[in-house]
Amino acid sequence: MTRYLLRRLFLMAFVFLALSLLAFSLSYLFPGDIVQNLSGLRQIDDSQRQQLISYYQLDHNILQQYLAFLTRIAHGDWGQSFASQQPLLQEIQLLLPATLELASYALLLSFVIGIPLGIVAAFKPDSFVGKSISAIAMVGYSLPIFWWGLLLIMFFSLALGLLPSAGRIGVLYEIPHSSGFMLYDILLADIDYRSEALYNALQHLLLPTIVLATFPTTVMISFVRDAMLNVWEQNYIKTARAKGLNRGQVLYRHGLRNALLPVIRQIGLQFSTLITLAMLTEVIFSWPGIGRWLIDSIYQRNYPAIQAGLLVISTMVITINMLTEILHAFFNPLARRG
Amino acid sequence: MSKFRLYLEENNRSPLKQLWREFRRQHSAMTGLILFISFFVISLLAPFVTPHDPYLQVDELLLLPPSWSAAGLVQYPFGTDDLGRDLLSRMIKGTSYTFGFALITVAGALLMGLLLGALAGMSKGVKSSIFNHILDLALTIPSLLLAIIIVAIIGPGLMNTTWAIMLALLPQFVHGIRNAIDEELKQDYVVAYRLDGANDWHVFSRLILPNIWEKLTIMATMAISTAILDIAALGFLGFGAQAPLSEWGAMISDSLDLIYLAPSSVAIPGLLIFTAVLSVNLVGDGLKTAILKRRQS
Repeated sequence: MTRYLLRRLFLMAFVFLALSLLAFSLSYLFPGDIVQNLSGLRQIDDSQRQQLISYYQLDHNILQQYLAFLTRIAHGDWGQSFASQQPLLQEIQLLLPATLELASYALLLSFVIGIPLGIVAAFKPDSFVGKSISAIAMVGYSLPIFWWGLLLIMFFSLALGLLPSAGRIGVLYEIPHSSGFMLYDILLADIDYRSEALYNALQHLLLPTIVLATFPTTVMISFVRDAMLNVWEQNYIKTARAKGLNRGQVLYRHGLRNALLPVIRQIGLQFSTLITLAMLTEVIFSWPGIGRWLIDSIYQRNYPAIQAGLLVISTMVITINMLTEILHAFFNPLARRG
Repeated sequence: MSKFRLYLEENNRSPLKQLWREFRRQHSAMTGLILFISFFVISLLAPFVTPHDPYLQVDELLLLPPSWSAAGLVQYPFGTDDLGRDLLSRMIKGTSYTFGFALITVAGALLMGLLLGALAGMSKGVKSSIFNHILDLALTIPSLLLAIIIVAIIGPGLMNTTWAIMLALLPQFVHGIRNAIDEELKQDYVVAYRLDGANDWHVFSRLILPNIWEKLTIMATMAISTAILDIAALGFLGFGAQAPLSEWGAMISDSLDLIYLAPSSVAIPGLLIFTAVLSVNLVGDGLKTAILKRRQS
């Protein structure tokens, strides 16, 4: 296991090196003035420009510029946003929790719904229930997420007026900012309208979570179903049956443990898709997260923000990828080899 | 698992024929295939089969409702948009953008993936390991983020986002092809062929390629559905197809501000995207089942 961990860490260092090289080269590839792209300042006069050039070591060779870039990133000086002229790192710290909140609830929902449905579908694959679960999974897998979100807004928000269509919480409620995770902040806050605020926040959360969870849920259903069907064919299942265990015991002791193992890995592989979908969901539901901010950044030609977004999102995805791989290897000794 | 057979008949049909037999038995897969072929034909013939010019703006017929409502005209089955352009013609034209470009994207990614995957699969040691790690990085960048970066560098446009989607699809192709080749190289018949004096190219073209094409087809169909969804999503966000082009996702975002006046102009393109993706997924799923059954029989 130690050897495995070391190898993984080495790989991770390599991937981060490549990522930093990519992010570094972006400020040169983006159109416009390099000093502006690096600093995020709109107006730069001559004396300031000289100062910035020496600060970014633009008068030195490319290797030194790269090292200066790494030092700046490590010290938290990520430049400013073109749009708001605020430090980027600070802006991201405000936005990231909103995205993480939405994505984690959606992921949780996809487990809670997807895994049991997948097991049921695998149990009797040719029955009516099994077939309809597979059909639902197929339909959900094919839905374009932005259209699906619009349909739900049209129905629940516009036609029925049941649920809000935008934002994280109603403008009437003022929640003191502590962690950035809305539900946690509300529970922590010392306010007398806590239960109303919580209800309102949950209402705002419901539609985006459902929309974002649709795709992962269907992936989970078909993945668990296929894994279960595969495991059910194995000889050790027959052995267990022959020993006299009943169906439930076989399912719990031998079936589930083997079938659900790859699910851990699947989380890591699906996470990058989840982020893409979260970005689209945020745009449709005006969710103030990092995805919507990034898409706004491209409309505003806000290059420093795109670079920072790449760094943050990729770091997040890489870390989660690694964690799930390591978890998977921790539970499954076979995966440590190779 | 081999099944019990009453008669000892020899099953010597070609693999393709066996596959088709298993595929034909699944009604859902056949429905998907028919839809897929019709989308394909429409995307090829789009310029010739539109009833009206998709870009012609008729001033007298702004926001005409679909023909099934009382105010509609039978010449304009889906009505017109706010500039008086026929929606049916725009949707037919849009098939070549959304569906056709998805096919081109996947074909490009598949070719590049085959090349790189073959190089990675046939090589060993440090070269293949470095290659793998670079791929791991590429796999972690979400496709939309990749598209945003490419749009930021070379500007928006259907062609530019096609490159982005191709790049986003590439890593999974390379990974899949590499793993498939790895699996094949372990087979005994590869060793036997090598002992006969075959070189890498012989092994690859005569043994590996015929044995992995099934996996390739499944990968490609899965990728087509991703590509359609990505093209439509990028069009919807305004990064992909630009103003006059009637790409389905872009059509949805065009008519979004008219959603109260003409809900059908949002609903129908979305339904088309959904049907196109569903048809691809049905075919992919049917192929998967058919391949599994053929292997078992």
